[in-house]
Amino acid sequence: MASVRPLPPPAPPTSFYAAAAKIYPREIDGRFSGLRKLAVIVLLGIFYALPWIGWNGHQALLFDLPARKFHIFGLTLWPQDFLYLTLLLIIAALSLFFFTALAGRLWCGYACPQTVWTELFVWIEQWTEGSRSQRMKLDRSAWSAAKLLRKGSKQLLWVALALFTGFTFVGYFTPIHSLGAQILRLSLGPWQAFWVALYSLATYGNAGFLREQVCKYMCPYARFQSAMFDADTLIISYDRARGEPRGARRRGSDSRSLGLGDCIDCTLCVQACPTGIDIRQGLQYECIACGACIDACDGVMDKMGTPRGLVRYTTEHALQGVRTRLLRPRLLVYALLISAATGALIVSLLTRTPLILDVIRDRNALYREVHGGVIENAYTLKMINLDDRPHRYRLTASGMPGLEIVDPAGEILLPPGSVNSIPARLEAAGERAGGVHHIVLSLAAVDGSRIAVHENTRFIGPTP
Amino acid sequence: MPRVTGLDVALVLWPSFLAACAASLLFFAAVDPALLRDAGPRLFAGLERETGYALGFLFFWAVAAIASALSVYLIRTARTPPPAAPAASGAPAEPEER
Repeated sequence: MASVRPLPPPAPPTSFYAAAAKIYPREIDGRFSGLRKLAVIVLLGIFYALPWIGWNGHQALLFDLPARKFHIFGLTLWPQDFLYLTLLLIIAALSLFFFTALAGRLWCGYACPQTVWTELFVWIEQWTEGSRSQRMKLDRSAWSAAKLLRKGSKQLLWVALALFTGFTFVGYFTPIHSLGAQILRLSLGPWQAFWVALYSLATYGNAGFLREQVCKYMCPYARFQSAMFDADTLIISYDRARGEPRGARRRGSDSRSLGLGDCIDCTLCVQACPTGIDIRQGLQYECIACGACIDACDGVMDKMGTPRGLVRYTTEHALQGVRTRLLRPRLLVYALLISAATGALIVSLLTRTPLILDVIRDRNALYREVHGGVIENAYTLKMINLDDRPHRYRLTASGMPGLEIVDPAGEILLPPGSVNSIPARLEAAGERAGGVHHIVLSLAAVDGSRIAVHENTRFIGPTP
Repeated sequence: MPRVTGLDVALVLWPSFLAACAASLLFFAAVDPALLRDAGPRLFAGLERETGYALGFLFFWAVAAIASALSVYLIRTARTPPPAAPAASGAPAEPEER
């Protein structure tokens, strides 16, 4: 009989989940905080203002989904122009790679919507609840009228800002003036209300509540950005050789004789960090390269009378005492690919023909014999004028001797942004018309705008 | 069934949201919801374009969320924890027997 061995006792369930402790980022002034303030004002200014700007009687930037047309200043893009969007996304991705390889997570620190809106929400928090220590004290204190007033006004401002953000976002997809009027009349469509609510909720949740957890747990870029890093990439780093051993000391005391490095272990760099890490432990993927620790440390170094830059923008090579190379094959390849994609986008935009012609042969009859042995073929022309202006066109046919256009004989007027479908009839004398002829139908502008398209089709006569 | 944490919810909803955005972009660049209404099955009769976009997006989100949820569930309920990354690339996980 086989011996029965007892199963090993089950291992205690491992969980890597811990409820995140709330981070109270300390307010810091300095070079990088100033840069981020500027980025927040410029980027959010553009976001909130752009839908209100008009251009030739329509909204300058309107992704009109109900009409399936994108208005980008003077340019109107149709679903057929998907190529441009693709190229634009490729350029954006390559630019992200380029700047990450060059100077680390510039995107995260200054341009990411997560950072930018969180910054705005933190400003409101500082304005209503006070400084870091005041906020921590307020959270620990029992509920009182004063606490309710501070917390309530913060929430009120946050919700108002989130709702206005959701409204602005939807204003990129529906004309914002009529959207605003609909909201004022309380007659918003159900889907518009849904999208405003969703984006407002996302703004409130991400910028007010989740904050650094989005970067730590939700952002894919944070995880793969290290693939673009090399030893010459600019990173924010603590100068261990200069700082250690760290320790508190009196101002003006001689660090050398105390056997200490330049780090006074004031932990201001940790308190300032919006993701709650200690930069002195080295490069960590939670670091969004906002530079708050640099600003904090520089201020301390100024007070201590030691040179700035204990925490600074540097490279792995520079820390090792090796020369940093700015021009590297990786950067050149990224730059080359960006130039190629940008060139392709510009060339295809410049050579874009704002006219689409489709020729469909009559399905019912191959040909028809009209008066005196003349053979007639019927077609349907589908013409889309992609331009913002009306255009006048004339149809011509070639590829076969004696081919004549009976209809449409005159000029064809296509209104701006219109899809038109008209019948066309072509004729040829019977003795020349026998068999299948490959012909070309051309639509050329007669209003001096030099737009022309050519479409291949067939003219069929009786078998000779 | 392990306890569902806030992180689990985020791990399900967030990547599927990103996937749904990409899927909607590609799908609706090629397919006009009005075409489904005019030439599609009876199910889509009377479908407004805006409703079509919204339902399409929610559909993609739901499908992607199912995939995300299954992934999270399979990872969470695995008997053995996933292998830890080796300390150095190419290093054998266990010492070789001689």
